Amino acid sequence: MVDLVANLSLGFHTALTLANLGWCFAGVLLGTLIGVLPGLGPVPTIAMLLPITYTLPPVSALIMLAGIFYGAQYGGSTTSILVNLPGEASSVVTCLDGHQMARQGRAGVALSIAALGSFFAGTVSTLVLAASGPWLGELAITFGPTEYFSLMVLGLAGATVLSHGSLLKSVAMVFLGLLLGLVGTDINSGAMRYTFGVPELGDGIGFVIIAMGVFGFSEIVTNLTAGAAEREVVSRKITGLWPSKKDLVEAGPAVVRGTALGCLLGVLPGGGAMLSSFASYALEKKISKHPERFGKGAIQGVAGPESANNAGAQTSFIPMLTLGIPGNATMALMAGALLIHNIQPGPQVMTGNPELFWGLVASMWIGNLLLVVLNLPLIGMWVKLLTLPYRFLYPAILAFCAIGIYSIGNNTFDIHQAALFGLFGYLLHLLECPPAPLLLGSILGPMMEENLRRALLISGGDAWVFARRPISAGLLLAAAILVVILALPALRSKREEAFQEEVA
Amino acid sequence: MTSGTPGPSAGVSSGDRPGARRPGVIRDAKDFWAGVMCMGFALAAVVLGRKYPLGTPASMGPGMFPVLLGGCLGLLGLACSIRAIRPAKAVARLAPIQPGPVLFVLGSVVAYGVTLPRMGLVVASMLLVIISRLAAPGFRWLEVTLFGAILTLGCVLVFVVGLKMPVPVWPVFLGG
Repeated sequence: MVDLVANLSLGFHTALTLANLGWCFAGVLLGTLIGVLPGLGPVPTIAMLLPITYTLPPVSALIMLAGIFYGAQYGGSTTSILVNLPGEASSVVTCLDGHQMARQGRAGVALSIAALGSFFAGTVSTLVLAASGPWLGELAITFGPTEYFSLMVLGLAGATVLSHGSLLKSVAMVFLGLLLGLVGTDINSGAMRYTFGVPELGDGIGFVIIAMGVFGFSEIVTNLTAGAAEREVVSRKITGLWPSKKDLVEAGPAVVRGTALGCLLGVLPGGGAMLSSFASYALEKKISKHPERFGKGAIQGVAGPESANNAGAQTSFIPMLTLGIPGNATMALMAGALLIHNIQPGPQVMTGNPELFWGLVASMWIGNLLLVVLNLPLIGMWVKLLTLPYRFLYPAILAFCAIGIYSIGNNTFDIHQAALFGLFGYLLHLLECPPAPLLLGSILGPMMEENLRRALLISGGDAWVFARRPISAGLLLAAAILVVILALPALRSKREEAFQEEVA
Repeated sequence: MTSGTPGPSAGVSSGDRPGARRPGVIRDAKDFWAGVMCMGFALAAVVLGRKYPLGTPASMGPGMFPVLLGGCLGLLGLACSIRAIRPAKAVARLAPIQPGPVLFVLGSVVAYGVTLPRMGLVVASMLLVIISRLAAPGFRWLEVTLFGAILTLGCVLVFVVGLKMPVPVWPVFLGG
């Protein structure tokens, strides 16, 4: 407890410098700005803004990126409520009741409940992160390569839960991603693998390039092929921002339940914001005395999922920061950002760079506060932004992405590579192959190989070592159970049903 | 429409519509071709990976892990394709490919990459806006040029003036 206070005060000391406060503010503002735009979720937003942070010191860069992340998350909910078009996957459920509330003239209430619920969830999950971080970090130090390999297997198994559609295709995308991750120089032998004699491929394919191509460019292409998406903006003047006492009484318990659920599900590999919001919506609907009100503007249907996705988004930092294993595509980008600053994500971050770890934790809470302060008064501006036609939006996104990619290595080869990945992403879209497991695999590929090598080197080539060491065996068993459960026909149809029901 | 969310556009062509072509052996075209794609990548990974030393389990060479992954990917792809031709599988067709947006959007990015180092940021950005804008209906020169100019100015201010990126603003032969 004393440690916690000392750690948090170190964190606030770091995060409250004028510069870091400024970067946090800039991140939150930019994240919201881009997150509000329909069709742009956190992954392309972070990928797009990542280059801006390269010149910053690591602490400021990470604080800004985290700000971008929950800003984008929050902006996505604003879009869901005002336009019936989610900016990102975790806001899909917010559309259901949030947009209905907006059509009933209660947009202001929906927005403020989402903001306040998110703030409450952010506060609680920051404390959860602060309390569990050191404990998990200590556990992680006892991990050897065997445990790490098994942990990554579990993480990738979890990533297939998160993507719906065919399980088989999700798993295949993981393997394809792992293979993409291996392109470049093999660090053990120095051999150039799959580089086709292209010197620029020696360093491998940058994850930002894959993310921008597969998530950014190909999404623009698919949005355009789908025709101009019809948008119904609730452009009536938003009045009555403050919820009534009745609203608060109804929404309060949902916020608490959503927060608890989000904190738990965010930590799971493959979990995070999206899983949390889906689960929370299902829970609220199940325990409600009036389930028939859901989908028609029930305030619980906004309060629960919005709190849950924020809590889940924050606690998904836990495995990334303490174990070095990104649990979802967004965290994979964060891990990549750390690597660019020469910081290997893992338990040593906490001991080696305590001000980075605790500064980030503290900045999360500050960022959440800034979001509430920033968003409720500025809501009129976001609404204006929503009315911007897509024909202006996408060339601007393209221009920023293109220069952003160039700035990573001052190299036009990267731009062409990203265009190629855009084409590949479009192909994946046509074939309904989920891109998120691919991105995650491409980041984990080299790490997995390295740990597999070390584990087998230590065991003298005996593969059973993964089953003999208890923690490793437990992790692998969990992964196997996850895959088997999902492969069972009865449960699979139920999972699809759950996704269908929520989205439809 | 972010990761893993099939947007409203996805899967429009599924189901047996009256008058539509009767399905042949391939029932689910999306799964079938996804499987074929995976097998293609797997084959490439294994064939190219054979050139790198495999090593032994205790001391893995650079070829071991990729060949292993390639093998698994190939099996997954095969399973995916086989499932797609089972008679019980629901029919799903590929959405028609629309070459316009693909060509203009990605082409504009390629043009940007080609022109940036020699022609500078202004030319590259304008080109990107004009080409990519052709992907959507309602192209008007005045509007596009004006918008491109504003966007270019923004890029110059943010990336060259603000972030001090080493990139030529004007064509190099005019002095950068």
